[in-house]
Amino acid sequence: MESQIELEYEDIKGRTNAKKVKFIGDLDATNVETILEKICNLFTDGFINIVADFKRLRYVNSTGLGILLHFSKSAKEKGGSFKIANVNENVYEIIEIIGATSLLEIYDDVDEAVAALQ
Amino acid sequence: MKPLKIEIQKSELRPDVSVWHFEGELDTASVEPINRNFNKLLEGKQLYTIAEMSKVTHISSSAVGELMGCRQVLTEHGGDLVIAGLNLDIKTKLNQMGAANIFKFHSNLRTALNAYTWDVEKKSENVWLSFPPELNFVPPVRQFVSRIARQKGYGQRDSFRVETIVDEACNNAVEHGAPDKSRDIEMFLKIDRAKLEIEVVNLSDPKKIDSLKAISKSILGTEEKKFERGRGLALIKMLSNDLAIDFSGKGTTVHVTKLREE
Repeated sequence: MESQIELEYEDIKGRTNAKKVKFIGDLDATNVETILEKICNLFTDGFINIVADFKRLRYVNSTGLGILLHFSKSAKEKGGSFKIANVNENVYEIIEIIGATSLLEIYDDVDEAVAALQ
Repeated sequence: MKPLKIEIQKSELRPDVSVWHFEGELDTASVEPINRNFNKLLEGKQLYTIAEMSKVTHISSSAVGELMGCRQVLTEHGGDLVIAGLNLDIKTKLNQMGAANIFKFHSNLRTALNAYTWDVEKKSENVWLSFPPELNFVPPVRQFVSRIARQKGYGQRDSFRVETIVDEACNNAVEHGAPDKSRDIEMFLKIDRAKLEIEVVNLSDPKKIDSLKAISKSILGTEEKKFERGRGLALIKMLSNDLAIDFSGKGTTVHVTKLREE
């Protein structure tokens, strides 16, 4: 059985190529493919700027972190960005240990991440 | 009105524990028989006592006061008196009296005896489990272990770290296991008040064993690095206090020690 994870989408006012995406649940090896497909679909639909709200992302493991790094790289290659906000301290610790804090764009809250969109 | 009945037994499982079976109503008239039975306990040097109250229908404040006095004496001698099996109404009443600040309540005799093993004897508890080498079995396993840690008093942060350690170790076991999936992954968990030890054993894929050895050698010998490969192992190393990997035989054994920090 896959770990439970849901994505909720929200438009960003005045930004036709950007979306807020709420991650709700656990991101791990059992569901990365589902998430990969959903986020790649957004890129394909022209939403190259993603603000990922991690307020309700309870858990991430190394596989999940790998896919986040992939999103960040893909968005940059398309001229956009993959920004992360509201990371809980447990998830942040995992990102930090892997040494990915400098590779991911991490913000304290969603408003700050949206304001940083170019 | 059901008259009070008190019976004292030694626990069959833990002979150094006395079980005080109460039945009926504990009211003011109960104070004297409680005191009389308590003196017998003291004479027998039975310092750890479980008051089993699943058949108690009423308890008065004077009876509670008497039990508090008994507990006080026992704790002064290094023992304790805990209460097991209270029905919800009486438990609520005792909580209102503030008794929960004095006594430990347990839902039944078995959990009270388990608590004795953990709290007084300070023994470790062991869990063994096995599961098929499939990714979908890993989330329930990691959450199960994390909940054990929480239930045993480990803090939220420690439990999260334990969850991550188990997750990464089991994912590696699935990913690098023998392709025919002929043997289940086995996990041994030993938990005590100070530390948690986890051992994950799997049958390795012979084609991957050399690359596995190379990755583990690199990670076990690295203090700080951005990990491109073996991120899971790197996480385990950083979140734990000791990590050992044994490739002898056909299997791979990952042994992790995580000290309690909170």
